[in-house]
Amino acid sequence: MDYYKEIIYEQDLIAKISEQKDEIERQQKELEESLRYAGSIQSALLSEERTFRKIFPDSFILFMPRDIVSGDFYWIYRKKQMVVVVAADCTGHGVPGAFMSILGISFLNEIVSREIPKANIILNRLRENVMKALHQTGEISEHKDGMDIALCICDFENMELQFSGAFNPLYLIRNGTLIEIRGDKMPIGIAPTEEKSFTNHIFNIRKNDIIYIFSDGFADQFGGPDERKFRYRPFKELLVNIHKQNIAKQKSFLVQKFHRWKGDLEQVDDVLIIGFKIY
Amino acid sequence: MRFSRFRIRNFRSIVDTGWNNLASDNITGIIGQNESGKTSILEALYSFYTGIISDDILRSDLSLPIIYCAFETNVKQFNKILGQKKIPDIITKSIEENGMITIIRRWNNDKSQSFGFGDDKIISYFKNQLNEIKNFEARTGKEILNILEESKKATEEFSQAMQEKTEEQKLLSHLESRLPKVQRAFDRSPGKENSNRLEKITLELERSKKRFEKKSKAFDLKSARATELAEKARWAQWCMDAINGYEKIIEESESSLRELATLQKQYDSLIIQREKKRLQNKIDFAYNRYIENQTALEKAGKLVSTRKAVTAKILRGMDPEEAETLVDKEMERRAEYYTERELAEESFKHIPVFEMFEDFSSLLPNRIDLDDIFADNSHVEGYKAARNFLIVAGLDEKFFDVQDNRILKQKIEKLNNEVALNFQEYWRQNLGKENKIQINFELEHYDFRHPEKMGRPYLEFWIKDAQERLYPKQRSRGVRWFLSFYLELKASAINNKYRSRVFLIDEPGLSLHARAQEDVLKVFEDIKEDIQIIYTTHSPHLINMSKLYRLLAVQRAVENDMKSETVLFDAKSLNEASTDTLSPIYTLMGTKLSDHQLIKKKNNVIVEDTTTYHYLKTLFSLIDFSKEIFFLPATDVLNVPTLVNLLIGWKLDFIVMLDDDKDGNLVYNDLKINLFHNNEKMAARKMIRLDDMNSIEDIFSTIDFKNFILHQRVGITESNSDYIENNNLSRTHLMSNFVLHVQNNNIRFEDFDEETQENIAMLVQKLDRVLD
Repeated sequence: MDYYKEIIYEQDLIAKISEQKDEIERQQKELEESLRYAGSIQSALLSEERTFRKIFPDSFILFMPRDIVSGDFYWIYRKKQMVVVVAADCTGHGVPGAFMSILGISFLNEIVSREIPKANIILNRLRENVMKALHQTGEISEHKDGMDIALCICDFENMELQFSGAFNPLYLIRNGTLIEIRGDKMPIGIAPTEEKSFTNHIFNIRKNDIIYIFSDGFADQFGGPDERKFRYRPFKELLVNIHKQNIAKQKSFLVQKFHRWKGDLEQVDDVLIIGFKIY
Repeated sequence: MRFSRFRIRNFRSIVDTGWNNLASDNITGIIGQNESGKTSILEALYSFYTGIISDDILRSDLSLPIIYCAFETNVKQFNKILGQKKIPDIITKSIEENGMITIIRRWNNDKSQSFGFGDDKIISYFKNQLNEIKNFEARTGKEILNILEESKKATEEFSQAMQEKTEEQKLLSHLESRLPKVQRAFDRSPGKENSNRLEKITLELERSKKRFEKKSKAFDLKSARATELAEKARWAQWCMDAINGYEKIIEESESSLRELATLQKQYDSLIIQREKKRLQNKIDFAYNRYIENQTALEKAGKLVSTRKAVTAKILRGMDPEEAETLVDKEMERRAEYYTERELAEESFKHIPVFEMFEDFSSLLPNRIDLDDIFADNSHVEGYKAARNFLIVAGLDEKFFDVQDNRILKQKIEKLNNEVALNFQEYWRQNLGKENKIQINFELEHYDFRHPEKMGRPYLEFWIKDAQERLYPKQRSRGVRWFLSFYLELKASAINNKYRSRVFLIDEPGLSLHARAQEDVLKVFEDIKEDIQIIYTTHSPHLINMSKLYRLLAVQRAVENDMKSETVLFDAKSLNEASTDTLSPIYTLMGTKLSDHQLIKKKNNVIVEDTTTYHYLKTLFSLIDFSKEIFFLPATDVLNVPTLVNLLIGWKLDFIVMLDDDKDGNLVYNDLKINLFHNNEKMAARKMIRLDDMNSIEDIFSTIDFKNFILHQRVGITESNSDYIENNNLSRTHLMSNFVLHVQNNNIRFEDFDEETQENIAMLVQKLDRVLD
């Protein structure tokens, strides 16, 4: 009798487990579907690479989210002879990052709606918007979410480039030499110290200058023989080495290099690199 | 068409007032001391309207008066008024640009006058056109005289050539007739003598033949030239006839004008009406002749122009018929457009009617001779008032023609009961208790006590209210003034039903007590929608303290020198006028504050409120501004105009700084319209706007606002001013936070971020531009 009882109990258990498995699988599927849908919304919000190429014929956007949705985002806006290019990296990745990226895009759209302010003013205002949206007032218990950003404005009328960065830099390669313009060491969002204005870097640009802005996903990727981070110095060298190549090739080279470096390890973060040549 | 500005030249003590705008709300006061030239301005404007000047207005340098008046209009309205002919494009463009037209009246030595039209650009356009025609006509005139001269010379030469040819022909015939005789004599006896004679005559004959040939050729040439010139001279003479005719008419016209002037002088010297009437016939006759001559002169002038144009073309080889057709066409085309005179005359018909109101003539008298009223003796006391009364009562000369005195008196009695006047018909305020009043009049005749006028009729007036019936001069001055002014208003409304009016009122407050003077101002306020008022005064009670923009100040260029010229200052430059000139304003205000040194003479910047004042004072203490600057706070933006008025009254210079918000813009526009005659350029010299700033807090970047004023870490996405309003924050409290923070932390200008620094720099730049 006990034997039968045991068998029945086992059968019930198996059925229950199988039921639970089905439920989990169903939930997983639903979640994935919903994430995939969210992902399609997110990519709809991001400008197409095609559009970017219309403005900069020699350009690429390397965008490799770690998950279905991404915490990195890019944003391009053109008004007359001015083009604003943004590469941003929101706190975290996946869903929380994606939410933040959507906030970032809509704030940026709003900030430039009347006119394009100076690069640092855009970041100042973006920070105010994020702080307001997340009710950040410097209290210890509140969310410290925000974003790191590299924002540049190309002024083709005056052949001038403005750059302002929240942690993230801009690389300019001119005549084979890489010039790094560093961003300010403060995020878009609440910081431990009181808000200061972001710095507006202005410099002249020339034909054939190549500009790169990016998130930290590539340099922070673990891999290689010692399974350590790729780091920024090799990243710079890599860009110097490939900068002369055709821009489309640059992108595929970077993708190959990334995969080769990562090997079987997991992708740590979203990866975003934007490169464009001044024409 | 609203009267908008004027310029007077060469009128009594006035050399050139320059352009002066009238107050946009239709009441313009001219202040100044006695003998400063206030009345001259009114008289000049009245002369502009009537065209009449007296000898005493002429300046000692004999420069002749020119008066310019500008009237508001637009292209649509102007086209409607002047629909008969085409308007030159330059005029339409000028109206589009300026929204007004200018009519000019100029007087000549003989006191005759002419009209001009337009601003400098238009004047030079017409002048050039006229010069072109004048030059062309002068050239053609010269050419015609030359042709006539040449033709005369050519005819003489032709006659001479003909004579010479005939004489030579005679000689030749004579030699030819003699030659056979000499030949025969030689044939008969071929001696030396006959041979010599034959040889001589043959030689002479040959010589004569050659000479004849030469003279014939010369004759042919002279004949051809004379014929050619004769044809030209025929046309030149045709033209000359017109010129001579024109000159003859000029002479006739001048003589008829002289005759008219002599008769008019005689007429003026006559006293007896019968004689006057008799002379009037002669004057009418002379006047008709003068008018006929004027018409003939115009016609003859046109004929001269046409003939000159035709002749010029013919002299250049054109076929006469073709030339005439072409000139006709040209004339027609020219006639399609208004000339300068036509434009001025036509426009003049549509400008407001100017009426002059001055105490002597316009105040209702106790009595006035009927003869003086109907003989238009405007120099008689109360003439205008009596005339106004008759218009209001609907009476003319015929009314008094009734022979039966009893009937006339009955009629008058009936009328006296009908003509009740109600002040409230024209103005709202109760002026004392006298709103309903009756004017009675009686027709009387002088008796033996006035032997020189015995039997002549005169009118006697009475003013009657509920209580009593008194002579006008027995009533209070106020009642008499208001009643007379009312008569003027009513009479002018009857005479000018469809035209707007400008009232020129000389010293309306002269004989009234302070309260009544203030009532005069109330009346002006009430009628200003219908009638533009320009008045002179030196009474403080006739000045509205809150509306100093209405004033023009008049004084002599050299103070107390009555020989120096009259100069004018408009509201925004009142501070340049002398203390004496501005004394009515000082009286009104009490003391002269500028003497107390509380506010500086120059570089006073009026700001909207004390909060703005403290922010600016603190900010300007941080920067190195090269000019002295004194911020003056109003208690509220809407009180800024009051402060402006005070500063004008105190003769202190000022700059107004306003926010770029609804109230700030409202005040900006009000001051622009009232003080700067809606001229943006002039307004921008005295007023600055904080562009895109709803209040002074917007001068800070959001970050600086948080760090220096709010001292709170919070995301601010709206403007600072909106943030303050949306969160119900106290501006005063925030301002004091800022002032203390700057003081306690030794804040320097460099501590502000780039955005704030740029905003401040922009403000400094604006102030630098407008400050002295």
